[in-house]
Amino acid sequence: MDELDATIHQPARLQIMAALCQLKPLSQVDFTFLKTKLALTDGNLGAHLLTLEEKGCIAVEKTFVARRPKTFVSATAAGRRAFEAHAAALKAILKSK
Amino acid sequence: MNISPEEAARALGEIEASRAAMRTVIRSNRGHYFLWLWGGLWAVAALLVEFKGLHSLLIFRNWLMPAGIVVTFLILLCTQGKIRSPLNKRFIGVLATTVIFAFIWPLVLRGPGNARNDFAYGALMAMFCYIVAGIWFDVYLLRVGLLVSAILLASLFFFPALFWWSVVLSGVTLIGTGFYVRYFWR
Repeated sequence: MDELDATIHQPARLQIMAALCQLKPLSQVDFTFLKTKLALTDGNLGAHLLTLEEKGCIAVEKTFVARRPKTFVSATAAGRRAFEAHAAALKAILKSK
Repeated sequence: MNISPEEAARALGEIEASRAAMRTVIRSNRGHYFLWLWGGLWAVAALLVEFKGLHSLLIFRNWLMPAGIVVTFLILLCTQGKIRSPLNKRFIGVLATTVIFAFIWPLVLRGPGNARNDFAYGALMAMFCYIVAGIWFDVYLLRVGLLVSAILLASLFFFPALFWWSVVLSGVTLIGTGFYVRYFWR
């Protein structure tokens, strides 16, 4: 049976992972756009992304687009597996009610 | 880690809300503008030929097609940024080589063709690109590429009198696919 993941379960990180896992593998989303979509501040989103990156759930790529620094974020294969397992564990808890 | 069923339900609700928000964004980045643009241009070109005669195909070649290419690049510029998928350089290389050779082959293999065959050739070249892109990236491109190719080939070889109407149908198919990926894809 799948187990809950304490790192992913935090509400903001759960939203981040849900959004990133909706994308196709290797697809990336812009940091600013993600911040707006999830209604988080720069610092808040940055801190959550760092936590997820340290756990290997996401990959962060810093690059330049039209000479402006841009940060793109994507879910890793391990992150996708962890998120799916977490969602399955949540569903199992709900079923056992 | 243990949580209550209520908390699990709340978490699943947050996941679904986040997924739904992302789906909306993905839908608006799926290339439907290109399908609407080129589907519309094809349909207009074919209707012009059907009702105004073959000479009106020049309007498509000299004005509509170049305008379509410019608008395509403008759409590319305006829609990129939020989500990006790393392009496989080898794939782009294969596609570019195919398109270049597709321009060269007719010059080598045959003399000047007629308007119907020329249009079918160009359209099938575009559909070839859709099919290859569909194999690589997104299955809807594969499906629409196969469907439009089948429509065009069937009319070209079996119902030549209806060819320009099949181009209208192909254009409508592209436009319809654009609406599908924009509004109904999940």
